[in-house]
Amino acid sequence: MSENYKDILSNLSTDVDQATLLLYLQGKLSEEKKNEVEKKLIQNEFDDDALEGLQEIKDKQQIQYMVEMLNRDLKKKTEKKKKMREKMKIKDQPWLYISMLILILLIVISYIVIHRMLRP
Amino acid sequence: MKTDNHQHSTDQELLAQFYTGHDNEWLGILLQRYTMLLLGVCMKYLKNEEEAKDSVQQVFLKVIQELHKYKVEYFKSWLYMVAKNHCLMKLREKQGKFTAEINDRHMAQPAEETDRQALLQNDHAMELMEVALKELQTEQQQCVTLFYLQKKSYQQISEVTGYNMLQVKSYIQNGKRNLKILIEKKLMSEKNRK
Repeated sequence: MSENYKDILSNLSTDVDQATLLLYLQGKLSEEKKNEVEKKLIQNEFDDDALEGLQEIKDKQQIQYMVEMLNRDLKKKTEKKKKMREKMKIKDQPWLYISMLILILLIVISYIVIHRMLRP
Repeated sequence: MKTDNHQHSTDQELLAQFYTGHDNEWLGILLQRYTMLLLGVCMKYLKNEEEAKDSVQQVFLKVIQELHKYKVEYFKSWLYMVAKNHCLMKLREKQGKFTAEINDRHMAQPAEETDRQALLQNDHAMELMEVALKELQTEQQQCVTLFYLQKKSYQQISEVTGYNMLQVKSYIQNGKRNLKILIEKKLMSEKNRK
């Protein structure tokens, strides 16, 4: 019983993974397991707000699909930047080489011109 | 792929990887852990599935654009703050009402709070709990007992008591808060008597 009392005062939040949360929302957990999940969720404002909101989604089977779609979009956002950076790197290099070559050529030409002009 | 290899990495580890190389792919892995929670929070405030989905995408974008500007220690708390502020702003735009922004108090756990917790977790506090529980309002006492001591789910408590699920949760939360206050008061008065 004392352990149960400790639960009331405990503030140590242990995260509930998304798969368990989904099972909870779809009503696929036993009452005992539900109580365990609820005890964890009630300790964290983020989790608790999320649970309240997710319960308002009418078709609980859709939640997983919605999450997958959002994750797919997120992946595009985070990968796109990386690909762009890589592309930039590849594009950057030829220009760098061309610029360096032009600079070297200019130095050589300037040297020759100045050298000729200074010759008596 | 990074996602498959980092299921056991902590948020702090992924965050550190992101700050080291500013590679958004790390951020993607981290954010994916919270997609469902973000959807839930947006749904709670906006009450519309399409708006909630759009808002989750906007929160993702905001995090990708802004995270490198700050040194965030508790990612989950920071993300919650970003999402909640985003929803409140949306509501403000929609309703034209003033809605207060939450601040970064959520990001830190002060030492004072930790001390308070330690004090409340001692054995004597547990003894006082039994007395304090009887001093709660009937609804709170009933819901806290069923939830924590008899391990009933919200649904079962709702069926037993006739309160709806939101009331049940609210009685548990308020009951828990009031219990802490009552025990702290009892501990303080005992200390003063000594």
